[in-house]
Amino acid sequence: MGLVESGKLPKPLAKLLNISRKYSIWAYQWGLACCAIEMGAAFASPRYDVMRLGVIPFPASPRQADLVVIAGTVTDKLAPAVVRLYEQMPDPKYVISMGSCANCGGPYWDSYSVTKGVDQLIPVDVYVPGCPPRPEALLEGIILLQERIAHEDMAARWKGEPIVVS
Amino acid sequence: MTAVSDPQSVSALVAEANDNRVNLDFETEGMTLNMGPQHPATHGTLRIIARLDGEQVISAEPMCGYMHRGYEKLTEVRTYPQINALINRIDWLGSFANEVPFILAAEKLMDVEAPPRAQWIRTILFEMSRVANISLFLGDFGLQLGGMTAGFYAFRDREWVLNQIESATGGRFHPNFDRIGGLKDDLPKGWIEESHTAMDKLLAFCDEMEDLLVGNEIFQGRTRGIGVIPAEIALSYGLSGANLRASGVDWDLRRDNCPPGLVYDKADWKVWTHPDGDCFARTWVRLQETREAAKIVKQLLDTIPSGPVMAKVPRIIKVPAGEAYVATENPLGEMGYYVVSKGDLVPFRVKIRSASFNNISVLPWVARGAYVPDLISILGSLYFILGDIDR
Amino acid sequence: MSSAETETPEEAAPATDDAREAVLAEFTSRLGDGVVGSHIRVGDDLWIRVDRAHWLEAAEVAKSMGYRFFDFLSAIDWLPSPFGRDMDAQEDLVVAGTPAKEPEAMVQGYAGGDTRFQLLARLYSISAGMGITFKCDLPDDDLTAPTWSNVFAGANWHEREAREMFGFSFDGHPNMINMYLPADFVGNPLRKDFPLLARRVRPWPGIVDVEPMPGVADEEGEGE
Repeated sequence: MGLVESGKLPKPLAKLLNISRKYSIWAYQWGLACCAIEMGAAFASPRYDVMRLGVIPFPASPRQADLVVIAGTVTDKLAPAVVRLYEQMPDPKYVISMGSCANCGGPYWDSYSVTKGVDQLIPVDVYVPGCPPRPEALLEGIILLQERIAHEDMAARWKGEPIVVS
Repeated sequence: MTAVSDPQSVSALVAEANDNRVNLDFETEGMTLNMGPQHPATHGTLRIIARLDGEQVISAEPMCGYMHRGYEKLTEVRTYPQINALINRIDWLGSFANEVPFILAAEKLMDVEAPPRAQWIRTILFEMSRVANISLFLGDFGLQLGGMTAGFYAFRDREWVLNQIESATGGRFHPNFDRIGGLKDDLPKGWIEESHTAMDKLLAFCDEMEDLLVGNEIFQGRTRGIGVIPAEIALSYGLSGANLRASGVDWDLRRDNCPPGLVYDKADWKVWTHPDGDCFARTWVRLQETREAAKIVKQLLDTIPSGPVMAKVPRIIKVPAGEAYVATENPLGEMGYYVVSKGDLVPFRVKIRSASFNNISVLPWVARGAYVPDLISILGSLYFILGDIDR
Repeated sequence: MSSAETETPEEAAPATDDAREAVLAEFTSRLGDGVVGSHIRVGDDLWIRVDRAHWLEAAEVAKSMGYRFFDFLSAIDWLPSPFGRDMDAQEDLVVAGTPAKEPEAMVQGYAGGDTRFQLLARLYSISAGMGITFKCDLPDDDLTAPTWSNVFAGANWHEREAREMFGFSFDGHPNMINMYLPADFVGNPLRKDFPLLARRVRPWPGIVDVEPMPGVADEEGEGE
């Protein structure tokens, strides 16, 4: 869509596009450690159902995903795999960093083999703190991301400037 | 070649001979299959490099270390209560169970005994964490073999146990509730009745899993006779827990070498073994163990003594010099901590003997000659948690 | 075996552990002068230190005595950490002008020892319900030992881990590659002189503010 990248899309259409994008996120879960279980509880259990927010879990591959939720400790050995996974996702893509290990290294801040935060490797949109964060906290993080998407200026992505949330 | 008279066998043999003749004309190479660090069937970031010949596995080499967080080095710079908060995250499904052997080792060195009420509650929470852990295994194993329904039921019914753990300790996972000398807090009001209800629901869940999985023809076909581990091999690799009992070895650390501080002898329960040693045996033993754990909890809930939950220990814990090894029967197997202390706030060396490390080391031996789908069955039935392998 | 924390005079505590003494005696008779140290904690555990030349034979003798369950194999580095305990606030030490602490002497644990590195292994006997913890000195200039993986198949992975964590080598091991660390990792993390770089860059600030426990007078609270 040439109109979107060049910024010539009329405002109501852009708004409609953003709203439909925010309610149709296909979320890939990169569940590494304990946070993966809470993410599983959020995504797959009937109590903290994430599908009511419009987010569908379990895409078949990262090439079909909009959102990746990095849940758990990222080690230096795994770091190349995380970067490769991020590069496989098509634009526009979003990253949620879930749990303190993915945010900043967490309880293993002084370990010799842990990457102190996944934002050293890939850009992160939303950080969900907790160890592990409750499923409701992850849902709140997803809602925050949805608000961000709703106010997003799609053209800014293609221009390469930092994305500003109004 | 034995003489066969049955015409069906003869035609089968002829077909096979024809097949082999055809295969000789094809020059095929072995293929290397990489079940990479991210895979739905590995419980976390395990990488398995399998060399295949057609559909058969020639060798399957697991590569660990994608979740290695350096626990043993980190324990050398943390005080005992800080370590307690950290080691919850080794086996992250049955978290309370990770704290117990470490606390018992420190208590052994300090020569402190927790009061009876604390011992009862510790054992109850230990068994509840076992129920929480293995119920996810049952659901997840079904999921890996293709029966997705079981997974959703497991997540739903686990919530009952997690609710109970949360109302007592404050955390669904990683309770960090055990302290040297007892527990952090006493139980809230009404917890005992609610736990009874939760355990009844879990017993119903076990019956449901049995209906869904065990009798299923596909399940039986995929697990019977697959991945047989004889008892001698199991012992020399150091397999423990349900893996060992499913190979016929009647050994349970709760009954046979229970460390002082846990009160398994106050309940009436049974150790389940199975002589076969295949994937089905391991699953079946775990199913029975979950039921047994729920029954232990119910019995202990009725007999909790009253009293304090914390012995008198100094506010700043310095453990006297010495070495101690305490191992308990964790949900995954035998987990032990070898604590070397020099009389300081901080231990000198802690060697963590985690169950899954030994459980997975048998994979190269078991996987020879198995088919690729059997590899999934074997992995699933050996049941490991990556945090436990990689520490 | 736990005693109350009061100071009542000990009753006739069980002075000997006959079963473990018998095991130790039989082991010593089979291994001869390979056994260089031992320790028994009554009712609890047995430690046996063997010298390196008999390390493999110790495994075989133990296996023939019924200790067929392989628990673990690792090592201990007895050097006191040159970085201290890392719990004291480094800023406070500098500001208050405390002189640097003398490095402590190296003291080995149960069953003695002479060297910095000791192998540590544990085997269990299911029929007897007892375990033996083995230790073995490794001289600093020659950190090698024979492999146990032909006697206990489970030792394969444990020796790989000990190698990358401490820098040992095991003769006869079939597959000496890294277990946990990436292939290009430099150093042996579990050695005491391997620094945790995050703590060197930004030292642990120590306890920042301590409130007294309600109703309890405040001691100089150092660690929690």
